[in-house]
Amino acid sequence: MLVLSRQRDESIMIGDNIVVTIVDIRGDKVRLGINAPSEIPVHRQEVYEAIQRENLRASRLEPGDTQDIGKFANRGASRPGGDKPR
Amino acid sequence: MRITTTRFGCIDVEASDLIRFPSGMPGLEDCREWALLADASNDALGWLQSTTRGDIALAVVSPRRFVPEYQVRIPRSELSPLALADMRQAQVVVVVGQTGTGLTLNLKAPIVINLEARTGRQVVASGDLPLQYELSHERPSLKKSA
Repeated sequence: MLVLSRQRDESIMIGDNIVVTIVDIRGDKVRLGINAPSEIPVHRQEVYEAIQRENLRASRLEPGDTQDIGKFANRGASRPGGDKPR
Repeated sequence: MRITTTRFGCIDVEASDLIRFPSGMPGLEDCREWALLADASNDALGWLQSTTRGDIALAVVSPRRFVPEYQVRIPRSELSPLALADMRQAQVVVVVGQTGTGLTLNLKAPIVINLEARTGRQVVASGDLPLQYELSHERPSLKKSA
């Protein structure tokens, strides 16, 4: 890991299009501003990793696992995917 | 195009079924193209099938069909990569998961789809929302879930 010291209002450049700025420092909390192209997602690490784990778990579901899901649904609302059954 | 899948066998998908995810999804970063399919026996359910990984598919539902009080607050920075001016042009679906006790919905990281542009992105919604909202007949209110 590259470790740099910065003070409030100073910045770090990552690559040629990502800028991280120290917006505020208060006690043990740092507020960071991130300027990055919109196609690069930026998230708190623990949130991103939790979503990764959940997606990987969810990607193992089979149609047999979801066959009873209808009993939790309300009637009449739209469904994803249009009307072509598979 | 014809794709081979582990759940649905060999299927033909139209261009109009395809959705491009320029950033993939967390954990599935290489899966940039998906087909949105309807489930044959369940009209509340859809399947996002990766067109490049036949073994990868996500069960998805319209969240308000299951959680009527679900209201997504999505930061503008999350919407702009989809060229969405506002949420009215978007379709929101959530991924179905499973724990030891039953089926769950990922309300924290919904998938937002720009239907016209055929692009999608999994976003992180603001607020204290569960990654695994438990589906049950007791219908817990959103605020009580972990």
